[in-house]
This record gives sequence, structure tokens and C-alpha cells, in this order.
Amino acid sequence: MGLGQLASRALLRSARLAASNPHHQFRRAIVTTPELHNSAESAAAEAHPEPDLPKRNPVAGARVHFPNPDDAIEVFVDGYPVKVPKGMTVLQACLMAGVDIPRFCYHDRLSIAGNCRMCLVEVEKSPKPVASCAMPALPGMKIKTATPLAKKAREGVMEFLLMNHPLDCPICDQGGECDLQDQSMAFGSDRGRFTETKRSVVDKNLGPLVKTVMTRCIQCTRCVRFASEIAGVQDLGVLGRGSGEEIGTYVERLMTSELSGNVIDICPVGALTSKPFAFKARNWELKGTESIDVTDAVGSNIRIDSRGPEVMRIVPRLNEDINEEWISDKTRFFYDGLKRQRLNDPMIRGADGRFKAVSWHDALAVVAEVIHKVKPEEIVGVAGKLSDAESMIALKDFLNRMGSENIWYEGNGPNPNADLRSGYIMNTSISGLEKADVFLLVGTQPRVEAAMVNARIRKTVIATNAKVGYVGPSADFNYDHEHLGTGPETLTELAEGRHPFYSALSNAKNPAIIVGAGIFGRKDKDAIFSVVDNIAKKINAVRPDWNGLNMLLLNAGQAAALDLGLVAESEKSIESAKFVYVMGADDENLDRVPDDAFVVYQGHHGDRSVYRANVILPASAFTEKEGTYANTEGCAQTTVPAVPTVGDSRDDWKIIRALSEVARVSLPYDNLSAIRSRIGTVAPNLLRVDEREPAAFSTSALRPEVKEKPDAAPFTTVVDNFYMTDSITRASKIMAQCSALLKK
Amino acid sequence: MASSVKYLRVPPNSASLAEARRRVFEFFKTACRSIPTIMEIYHLDDVVTPSQLRSIVASEIRKNAQVTSPKVIDMMLFKGTEELNLIVEHSKQRHHILGQYVLGREDSQDIGTKEQGSEFLKNFFRSNYF
Repeated sequence: MGLGQLASRALLRSARLAASNPHHQFRRAIVTTPELHNSAESAAAEAHPEPDLPKRNPVAGARVHFPNPDDAIEVFVDGYPVKVPKGMTVLQACLMAGVDIPRFCYHDRLSIAGNCRMCLVEVEKSPKPVASCAMPALPGMKIKTATPLAKKAREGVMEFLLMNHPLDCPICDQGGECDLQDQSMAFGSDRGRFTETKRSVVDKNLGPLVKTVMTRCIQCTRCVRFASEIAGVQDLGVLGRGSGEEIGTYVERLMTSELSGNVIDICPVGALTSKPFAFKARNWELKGTESIDVTDAVGSNIRIDSRGPEVMRIVPRLNEDINEEWISDKTRFFYDGLKRQRLNDPMIRGADGRFKAVSWHDALAVVAEVIHKVKPEEIVGVAGKLSDAESMIALKDFLNRMGSENIWYEGNGPNPNADLRSGYIMNTSISGLEKADVFLLVGTQPRVEAAMVNARIRKTVIATNAKVGYVGPSADFNYDHEHLGTGPETLTELAEGRHPFYSALSNAKNPAIIVGAGIFGRKDKDAIFSVVDNIAKKINAVRPDWNGLNMLLLNAGQAAALDLGLVAESEKSIESAKFVYVMGADDENLDRVPDDAFVVYQGHHGDRSVYRANVILPASAFTEKEGTYANTEGCAQTTVPAVPTVGDSRDDWKIIRALSEVARVSLPYDNLSAIRSRIGTVAPNLLRVDEREPAAFSTSALRPEVKEKPDAAPFTTVVDNFYMTDSITRASKIMAQCSALLKK
Repeated sequence: MASSVKYLRVPPNSASLAEARRRVFEFFKTACRSIPTIMEIYHLDDVVTPSQLRSIVASEIRKNAQVTSPKVIDMMLFKGTEELNLIVEHSKQRHHILGQYVLGREDSQDIGTKEQGSEFLKNFFRSNYF
């Protein structure tokens, strides 16, 4: 009441002001350049009335693809003619005409629900306003989006939505990026007529990642549709009807999807928000940095939101070719690991076995002294999962100058096929998987190894009923699949055409074989690859217009490491090593290193390998440096520093460059552009950032004949805990909670 | 803390370079005499020795060794005396002394004497951002 009176009084006063000063509203028309307003052009424009409407561009650069030119229909949006294919909705036609229709329930990548009614527009000859998201555009339709009727309809819908929405924007995490907030400012009424009490809804427990305040929910059902359509878990649903309608899990259970964090982004209100981010920051005080995720080999595009020196949250960035607009829970929530267990000072292990912080000067001097005391063949370098291309080339160049050829990337196994790029990248490309009609997954569990690739396969399976055959240990899939077998003998059967699934493969137009990188670790990998090559040849998976023979890599640096040729000269080098340079490799088994060997650990987290290290050189994490990473499809992308480095740490390649100078074998690059031109001489594809470079040749014809048969040993699970795969995620508290609660 | 230096004044201009030079030495002696007091009031025993402090004062003075104009020397002497007064009167706090006179210079001397590396290496030891 009080507020309303105040408002009306203010209105009255402004009205009186305007009345007392009749020239007030004309003041802006007084200009000093009258000739501009009466120029010849404006006169000409007045003379020809046809182009009276200023040109409008599609919203957000939207483009339309006409699968069949005959199907184009023309509709008029606010008088603008626009051509759209048959079957497009009125809302999409409006987008093409440059009009953004307000909406809550409609989402580009989800099915249409049409229950929020916010997208009402007026259509000529229609008795009522129509919900544009659910109404197909018809030829000659005259759509009006800004008429009094449409505005009134939106205002009414807004009033109904706000009836039961709590007024807690000041303590709501969505505040500032809330669709309801924005649209009520733009389209809502300036006062409400609702005087009864608001309804309240019990909050649901969806697990350690998603916080729910269900009273705020406006029942748009985006989250329900996301869970069932994209994530493939039937956990969320609508319960009750009318004013008793609620979103929830039917029974008391958690949401067990690796993509569950995306419901936070698609929720238009603050009903589903990030639990770790709750009450931590406001979105307008955050600095966004567009970067790349490094927790798996997909290289999802992310935005790192930071405040000062702290990463506050990670949200996805649109990239149709890689992650669309989703990211996995690991990508979204591992960032608290960046604050724990960090190495911040160079350290040397003293005689008592304890680490002592020293200056960079002393640490590098010690390392340089030791490396000159050992024989070249006793020097070994291991690059870790999260290494960028710059630091890997620097490490390789440095150790090569010291005379060693034993530098490898952890997890690649002995003698990886680094010769031909098509032998280790996803040749079909991630977005190309949508064209496949039969999948054969060999020893890979994409759901835990690369959640975004799995989402792509699922999308294809749902959209085109593509068949999936899987060879490997029993695994969790969120789409229909056939478990063909557990070991290489199933592959042999397929190659010889004896297996029932072979007919599906050979009848497929675009078959896609995806081989997991876990096979790299097997002794008989050459034999397995030759069997897979045989299958590919028989089913004609590699053609000029389609390359369906893929590797699915596991780690962010893996493709770049193979591009740069980080391949060890001998398999047993680590057992005889006297000097081991570990660049963030925490999953390499350092028990094999002799006791008298000198181990240098360069990295950002005090993880497994630090226990064996003699010297620690603190490096910066991917959020703090510029680094090039190639993802599993061979697309090079760069990270961008979002926050300053921790303590006295330095960028990886700078440490190696400085060490090389202290060791008197200076590397010839002093800055990023110089080191990148060095990368260009080895692997030019790593310099074409954000562009996918397909492999030039296919391997199958070029590989040497393999005589021996594959072992009978079945394939094993490579990633046993989706949430903790590298040093950052292992340091993360949220990831630890997730593994405790959600791991089955 | 009524010390003798509190009432020390720099008299009007020195007539010649020789006189200015003599005054510099007098100032240095005064400063050296107040070092025990300074050590005490700022609790500097655990970070620095009196002889180190003396050499710090000397290096501060030697920084301006190239100055030959008596007028300029007088002005700098005045400023030095003022600074000394502030220190002796405990107008400063411990971290002022440490930051200004004790800590930073050790590094800079270190880097100046120890390193013969390239520009990259010098920058590398200084910070990650260059």
C-alpha cells in the first residue's frame, strides 16, 4: 500500500512538473546542426516510402539452413518479410527477423513445452494471442510482436508468474543474470494486484552440486527436459497439478548425471543454482575470461569467472563443434582444487628428508649441477596430463640438448603411434559424429572418459536411432547399446565377419569406430590396432568423404604431445634413470625410479609425484598461463590467464627456458611467439588455433603388418573415478564429495 | 626519547665542497651513534646487525657520491637528518625500517652481484610477468 501511494504521488508530481514546463519535453530537439536534419538524403527517404523500416539483423547472428529450397515460406514479422523453412516456429521466424521474443520455457536445444506463455505474440486473423514457441509458422502469416495486445498479454503472464515467486532477489544467487528479473523489468507491470500469501515449496536435495530453492521455480520444466533428453537420466519430473505443481525427484535420490550442472545454466530463475558458488559472489563483480577446459581431452570451451586472484566459478561457452553449450560436472566444479595443495615456492629436499623453501636461483643451480653429473642416457623427462604444447616442446628441446631422447607423455604407453596424425585423433570430429549411423566403441567408456563426446553420441542415437556396439568391460551407458564382448576376441570375430553385429556395421552408411586411449597401455596394442584397421577396411569406414576410424584420447595434452613427438626412445629408461624431470606427471608410477635417482618435480599441485621429488619447481596452473592444447579431434585451442600465479610460481615453459640457461644449454626462445614459431616447425597444426586441422593421411594403409595375435586379456576400465582424474581434480573438495556420493 | 639527534640542525649553506664533505661525515657519525637506539626501539636484533645497518647507511650516502654541488649536498643532508630524526623519534614503525632499509636491498645486491645471465633469466628471477 505504502509503496503504491508513494509511486502515484511521484507520478503526480512529475505530471505537474511537465505541465508547468511545456517546453521540457522538446528540449532534446534543439540541435546546432539543422542542416543535417534537412539534408537531401532524408528528403529522398521521405519521398520513397517503401524502405521505411530500418534494416534488422537476425538475433545473435542466427542463420537458417534450407534443407529443401522449395520448402521456404514467407512470413511477416512486424511488417518485415522473412523467409524461413517450413516447420519453423513463429518464435524462430521472429528471431530470423531480428525480434527477440521473451521466453522462459523455450530452449533451442530442448523439446518444446509451451507452458510458460511468455512468448505470446499477436497473429493477424487469430482470435487470441498465440504461444510463438509452439506455433509453426504458416505461409503469409502476419506476426505482430509489439502491439498493445501482445504487450498486455506478456504483462498478464508476468503478473501470474510473479504471484508465487518470492521477492528474495537480494539474496538470490541468480540476481543480476536472472531471466525473470530482466523480463519483469522489461515486460512486467510496475505493480502487482496480488494480496494473498505466496505458496512455498519444499527444497529438494539434488546432490552436492545443484542447490535448489524450489519456491522460486516457475515450472518451465527446462530442467526436466534437459535431464531426460540431453543428460539421459530420468531423475527429474513434474509432480502435482495446478498450484500444487512441483519439480523434483520422484523419490528421495540424487541427480546422478555427469552433466547435471547444466541445469543451473538453463534454469531461467534462481531455483537451481550452483551449490559450491552459493553466496560466494555476485555475477557483476566477476571478470570473465574465455578459456579452455583441461580436465579431459575434449577441450570444452569455458568462461572462467574470477574475482581478484580467485577463480569463483566456471561456466560453459558456446562452441557448436565441441561442447555445444554444455560442460561436464567435472569441468564446472573442479575449480576449488586450484586453491588447495598448491606449490608456491621452489623447494629442495634436505638431508633430513624435509622440503625447505629456497630461491629460484638456488633451486635452478642445484638442478643444473645435478643434470651435468649424470650420463645423457640416464636423463628422463615425463610430461604430465595437463602440460601445454609450449612447455612440452621446451622440455623436449632442453633434454635433447642434454643428450637425452627419453621424453614422453604419461599415459601414452610405450611406442605410441605418433607418426601419423590420423592414428591418434578423432578423425570424424566431434560434431561429425552426428552423421554416423552405427558406432563401435572399442575399450572406451565415453561417459567417464569424455562426457561431451558421450553427449554427442547420445544426441545422435536419440535423433537418428543410430546403433551402438560396445566392446569392453561392463559399463554405464545412457543410451541404447549392445554389449558385444569384453576382449579382443570379439574384435577378431567382427573382423572376420562372424559376429552378429557385423551386419549392422557393414550395412551402415557412415560407421564410426571409436577406440579408447586406454589401449595405448596394452602390450598387444599394435595387434589390436591392426584388427581394428581390418574391421574399418571391411566395413569401408575410411573413405575420401568419411573417415570413421577414431581414437578417443583421455587427457588435455595428449594430442599435442603426440603431435610434438614426445615418444621415449627405450621402454625401460625409467628403471635405469639417474635424473628424472617430472613435469606435472602424477600418474606415472615413480616406484620404478631407482632410489639414487634425482627427481625434479615441476608442477602446480602437491600431488602424488611430489613425495618422490628431490627438488620442487612451482609452476602455474592452466588458469594462470597462456598455453596451447589440442583436443581429441585435433583442434588446437589456447587458454588465457584469468588469475595471477600463486606465490613464487612461474609459467612452465619459462622454468625450463631459465633452467636451460643455468645449465648452459640456452634454448633459443625468450617469449611466447618465439616458442610458438618453434612449435610451428614441428607441428604447424598447433598454431592454427580454434580451427580443426584434419589429418592428411589415413593410417590403415600405411601401418606395417602385424603378425602376432592380440592377447585374450579383456579390456579394462581406464577411468575408474570420473570426478578425480588429475592433480587439480584430486585436490578439489567438491570433486571428493561427488566421488563419495555419486560414484556407484 | 629525547636523544641528542633530535635537536640537530643543519646550519645554513656550506661555503665550499670541503665543508659540505665534512658535514656528511659528521652526519654519518651521528647516524652510527644512533644505531644502538634504533636497534633497540625497532627490535632489529633478529634481522640485522649493527655493522650491517652501518653499511646500509653508508651505501645510502654513497648512492649520491656523484653529487658535487655544496647546495645540493646540503639539501640532501637536511633530508637525511630529517629521516634520521623520524627514525630515532620512533615516528616510524618496524616494517618501515625493514621494508625501506633492510629487506629490499639484500635482493637487489644479490641480483646485481650473482647473476650474469641473459635479460630473460634476470626477468625470470624477478617475477613471472615480463
